[in-house]
Amino acid sequence: MSEFDPGKKKSSVPSSSLMYLGVAGAAALVLAGGVAFYIATLNTRHEKTGTAVAVAVTSKACEPNSISVPAGERTFEIANKSERPVEWEILDGVMVIAERENIAPSFKQTLKVRLAPGTYEVTCGLLSNPRGTLHVTPSEEANAQTPRATMRNFLGPLSEYKFYLGRQSIAAVRAAQDLADAIKAGDLAKAQSLYVAARQPYKRIDPVVHRFSDLQNTIDPVADYFEKRENDPAFLGYHRIERGLFVTKNLDGLGPVADRLVADLKMLDERLKAMKMTPDVLIGSAGNFTSQLSHDRLPIQNDSYANGAISDLEANLDGIGKIVGLLRPVVQPVNPDLAQKIDATFSATKDEIAKQKSGAAAASPSIDPNQRKELVTALTNLADALNELPSAIGINSNGT
Amino acid sequence: MKRHFMAATALAALLCYTGAAYAEEDSKLVEPLAAYKSFIADHTEKLLDNTSKFTEAVKAGDIAKAKALYAPTRMDYETIEPIAELFSDLDHTIDARADDFEKKEQDPKFSGFHRIEHGLWSENSTKGLEAYADQLLADVKDLNHRIENLTFPPETVVGGAAALMEEVAATKISGEEDRYSHTDLWDFKANFDGSKKIYDLVKPLIEKDNADFVKKVDGDFKVVDETLAKYKTADGYELYDKLSEADRKVLAAKVNALATELSTLRGKLGLN
Amino acid sequence: MAHDHKTETSAVDSVDASRRTLLLGLGVAAGGALASSLPVKAETGDGKQVTDAPESHIADVKQRVPFYGVHQAGIVTPRPANGMIVSFDVIAETPADFDLMLRKLTERIVFLTQGGIPPVLDRKLPPSDSGILGPEILPDNLTITVGLGNSMFETRPWLNPLKPRCLQRMTQFKNDALDAELCHGDLSLQFCANTADTNIHALRDILKNLPEYLVPRWKQEGNVPTVLPEPDGTVHSARNFLGFRDGSANPHSGDDALMDEIVWIGGKDHDEHEWAVGGTYQAVRIIRNFVERWDRTPLGEQERIIGRRKMSGAPMDAAKESDTPDYAKDPDGKVTRLDAHIRLANPRTAETRKNLILRRPFNYSNGVTKNGQLDQGLLFIAYQSDLEKGFIAVQTRLDGEPLEEYIKPIGGGYFFVLPGAREAGDYLGRKLAEAAAAGPPTRS
Repeated sequence: MSEFDPGKKKSSVPSSSLMYLGVAGAAALVLAGGVAFYIATLNTRHEKTGTAVAVAVTSKACEPNSISVPAGERTFEIANKSERPVEWEILDGVMVIAERENIAPSFKQTLKVRLAPGTYEVTCGLLSNPRGTLHVTPSEEANAQTPRATMRNFLGPLSEYKFYLGRQSIAAVRAAQDLADAIKAGDLAKAQSLYVAARQPYKRIDPVVHRFSDLQNTIDPVADYFEKRENDPAFLGYHRIERGLFVTKNLDGLGPVADRLVADLKMLDERLKAMKMTPDVLIGSAGNFTSQLSHDRLPIQNDSYANGAISDLEANLDGIGKIVGLLRPVVQPVNPDLAQKIDATFSATKDEIAKQKSGAAAASPSIDPNQRKELVTALTNLADALNELPSAIGINSNGT
Repeated sequence: MKRHFMAATALAALLCYTGAAYAEEDSKLVEPLAAYKSFIADHTEKLLDNTSKFTEAVKAGDIAKAKALYAPTRMDYETIEPIAELFSDLDHTIDARADDFEKKEQDPKFSGFHRIEHGLWSENSTKGLEAYADQLLADVKDLNHRIENLTFPPETVVGGAAALMEEVAATKISGEEDRYSHTDLWDFKANFDGSKKIYDLVKPLIEKDNADFVKKVDGDFKVVDETLAKYKTADGYELYDKLSEADRKVLAAKVNALATELSTLRGKLGLN
Repeated sequence: MAHDHKTETSAVDSVDASRRTLLLGLGVAAGGALASSLPVKAETGDGKQVTDAPESHIADVKQRVPFYGVHQAGIVTPRPANGMIVSFDVIAETPADFDLMLRKLTERIVFLTQGGIPPVLDRKLPPSDSGILGPEILPDNLTITVGLGNSMFETRPWLNPLKPRCLQRMTQFKNDALDAELCHGDLSLQFCANTADTNIHALRDILKNLPEYLVPRWKQEGNVPTVLPEPDGTVHSARNFLGFRDGSANPHSGDDALMDEIVWIGGKDHDEHEWAVGGTYQAVRIIRNFVERWDRTPLGEQERIIGRRKMSGAPMDAAKESDTPDYAKDPDGKVTRLDAHIRLANPRTAETRKNLILRRPFNYSNGVTKNGQLDQGLLFIAYQSDLEKGFIAVQTRLDGEPLEEYIKPIGGGYFFVLPGAREAGDYLGRKLAEAAAAGPPTRS
């Protein structure tokens, strides 16, 4: 998971205030008003920094169902006490603040996250399970942070990224529409040929998009998270279509699913338009997402029946690359070594994927375990580099 | 309990402790900047499309068609001027006037729109223009590509409003821009639209504290718009020589006023 | 003594040397170069710098600049308030004609710059003098400096082999919009005097006296503001029409050794013709300033474009105009932008020291252009012993600078300034004329 070291100070940007805006790789924090309240009975309070907060996910709920922690960098240890893989998300409304995906049954995973005061929800296994509550109280520790860059540096990159998100999401809508048209016309072969490429624009904006948990759960969910798996009526989106096109090779019932996908992608486009672009969107997303790829997603055998695993990965990397490119001029003057490290690990990952593309792996539904290992290594290196961004260029929240 | 996602200010970390305001002012510029990039992207695409048709007509020797397409094609270039200008090498080969060359119209380095304009109007021929047409299309493709990959500097965008007015004041108001075809009023309109777009995008950010300023600028834009509109035709604008002396003076004065006013935009937004 | 062109006054007291401060420093002229760390010259004589603002309280019609010397006057001479460059086509088809022209020209220059009373002729004849200065011509600090252009040598086979090594036709730099009618010339005359009338009078005198030799091509007048010195005696560089101090880092014109190094042809290693020793290259550029646009540019941006504070003339990282910017401490251009005018013109490294030039410009204000904007700008004049290493190298470095948005070179030319006339009986260009008349070229 993403590491964050508040002690790593850079001398290049002097701090003139106590305002601090930073991102730990998986941490998203919400500007709240410093409201703190404590819920009595089900609370487990963890005051000391450095101790992991333990939470277990059973087949029915989280244990404990309500947690209270002070603001700042916190570590959670999530134990999967259910029978199937789970993800654990900290949510603010529908926005995902931090998460761990694909926690295997009877395994534990840790999640490090920087939290701001406020009240959040946490997911507890099956999407149909009730959610738990996370209370984050104000703390001294969180006050002592230093800024690394100013809002001014981010104006250009943020507006560019907003523009990019818009372009990609429109492209995703169009591609999904073409796919839906082919499905409804009964043209299986055409739909099959369109499927993999249709996902690419969506995969490019994955770093940002997968945080809209409600849309993520209808656009791109994995069958495992549903009670009835592939047969669950709530299992929708790309993979549902993929199954129909490449496994059952049957278009029955796919029409409405495809229409729903288009509608959801349009909704996503609206959300992106309305989304407020703040520096942490860029700073945290790249590392956060890459960590997820390297740690949560890739190591798991997520078979792609459409042989689209590499294509998805390439598109993901394109999207990560976009953010890297936009942030480079911000990082370079502040920390040229980090800029170099990011570029090097990014290139290495790109090379690794290119290798996979030309290999036998490209033709098979799943990525060969050895090559998977190489990919994971490359992505992990990249994630580590990207996760240094918050401490290098984390922003001062009062904009100085 | 679910909070509406709109209440969330960020997807990732925003940490605020003592209650001092987040950089609201700066962050408010992100939307206008993103919208401007979208605006520019659209116009650049159109420019590429139109330039393709224009150069095709030139190479086909279709003088009438090329002449008809000349001014409308240029409009998108003049609209995106603040950004296109960042690439001075391309600006030079695409849009330089004969003045900039030692041998003037005869100089082999004189290229781009005005070189072709010279051939079409002064010589009423497309002879010898094929290479210039090819080069123009290649340059516009290059420009498109560079703009796509450019992160727009905020100061350049906001400063672009004034820069476009300076353009008008320097060459369009005197009919020196399109001296062979006299289609300067088309360019004028394009510069005007480009400038007004930027102003409109940032107006909401300065209205509250600059009510009088906004009122004055709105008024000045209106006068220029209405004066120019007098010269509209079915497919564009009258030739420059139709511009009455009285209207020319009004335009000159208002354009200078707008250039002066818009030169304060950056300062009002706290941009360098 | 080589540098005897300090201002002499016959009836006015010499200005107290202690009231002046030598400014060695940093500064900018549109299109000019700046000195790197130069040796500070101890005050000798009156020690005036060429780009100091002329002092209005000192200027006097009786001020006279000596004509004879190793070098012509008007180069390291302190700059008075008014200047003018006139370019001519020369009609002289033989070495004999050329020689005669040079003698006559010298004669007129001596009279005009030293003063005298023009002869009074019969009323039935046109008067010998225009009369605009009255019956007696007072020197008024006048200098007239003669240069020869590339075309002078190119079109005359008896001069061609004697052409100075670097002399060439001025070619276009990237931002230029050269108007052929404002460029080049066989011969340039630089007039400088306290008042514009003195320059005009001198020009009309020369035209009246050498009509068969000289046909004017283009001319540009200019001036610099006169400023009272500070109470402590400090004199500042004059400002240009961008409002910035211009000339802060000019090499010190009172420093003989420095002038020998940077400006004058001579010394043991020179590779010019012998006749050229004591001369120098003159680069003239008429540079239009888009003043309305400049005046609408935020002050901060103006300063970033130039690389100095506007009012004080100080570099971005220092307090006074005379301070040197420390670029070594600022490799990424965070303090002074890498494309700031002064930094591009003079990067202040050991290698760029050989690109130093002596600038002596004037501001010009002509009329109104077709689009209702003011035709104002800089009459840029620079002197250097090597045109390639001097002006051309510097201007090449400046190609693409942000200042280009606001300036547009429209005219000028390159000339070779003749060495001085040593004493009475000598005349400007004598050695060149003799070498030309001597027949087949021998490289001396």
